[in-house]
Amino acid sequence: MAETVGGFGVPHNPHFPLWVADGAPAAAEIERLYGGVAAHLRAARPDLLLVFTADHYNMFFETCVPIFAIGVAESAAGASDYPQLPRRVVPIAAGLARHLHAHTVRAGFDVGISQELELDHTVIALLAFLFPDDVPPIVPVFVNGLIPPLPSAQRCLAFGRAIAADGAPAAADRGPRERQLLARDRRAADQRDLAHGVPAPEWVDRVVGLLGAADVDRLVAEATEERLAEAGNAGGELLEWIAMLGTIPPARPAFLDVQPEFGHAYAAWPAP
Amino acid sequence: MSVYAVNKLCRRVVHEPELREALARDPDAALRAARPPLAEDEIAALLAGDVGRLSRMGANHFLLHQLGRWEVLGLDLPNYAERIRAAWR
Repeated sequence: MAETVGGFGVPHNPHFPLWVADGAPAAAEIERLYGGVAAHLRAARPDLLLVFTADHYNMFFETCVPIFAIGVAESAAGASDYPQLPRRVVPIAAGLARHLHAHTVRAGFDVGISQELELDHTVIALLAFLFPDDVPPIVPVFVNGLIPPLPSAQRCLAFGRAIAADGAPAAADRGPRERQLLARDRRAADQRDLAHGVPAPEWVDRVVGLLGAADVDRLVAEATEERLAEAGNAGGELLEWIAMLGTIPPARPAFLDVQPEFGHAYAAWPAP
Repeated sequence: MSVYAVNKLCRRVVHEPELREALARDPDAALRAARPPLAEDEIAALLAGDVGRLSRMGANHFLLHQLGRWEVLGLDLPNYAERIRAAWR
């Protein structure tokens, strides 16, 4: 039986690893914020990471744009979209990935799979901070947070809950401690990033407030497609956070901080 | 006409350095060579760097931002953002 050792949320800003490497003015704050999450993450000693993310039109575009998808290859390299980031190969817990795919389909979710994939900056950038050297095997779980129509927040929460409800039998990839980490990448609501266009700072405040209050139901109710669209050109990425929140019991985070100028949030919900 | 052609062009800008070079060298020719073909009003908006208009036509914001990221068609990230905001103000 798998054990969920926590939920963790961080941004995947592709510039941050480069800024830190270059000693940019924001480097110290970036390292402090990622470090706050990483301390909880490493203390949880995960055997693997479920990484909820949104492909940024790099893998899913011409052929198919799935609402949900799981990467089931043995490994994947990246970043496919930012050659400036040091390229790395990330192992995938392929057996568990296929198990989760079958489980969620049988639970009523229409989930695609990708059997050959590259990872984009949405995974590679955050691993530079959380696991700069060796990374546990991951299961990349893609939620369409960018290409309308988006799945509803309710649906994403239910998807996360379906994953959590998995009996997680003796999957071949499971490590000896039988721990399962539910990691997550993403910003809370994407505004005012260098890359983004229609900021809504009050939405960042609202999201962070609801996260801090453990009011997931209210967050889901307010995260309408219209609200996410108003929040910026990647505002739908909040859906990845919501799917992740479906995998853990509602609780106040042990760590929560925000970079309002970027619309980025950092949070950790280690299991008690 | 479909904004898919605009979205696809933006995506290709990320992954095809030769397209970025072609857009810098002769933007009109590069846009007319795009497949699927761009409509005339899409070409006009792209040549003008009018991402606000393209946004109003239904092109994807995130993909449009790649034009600013790669600084093609007279765009950069600040003017991309300004034009998107202005279009929806």
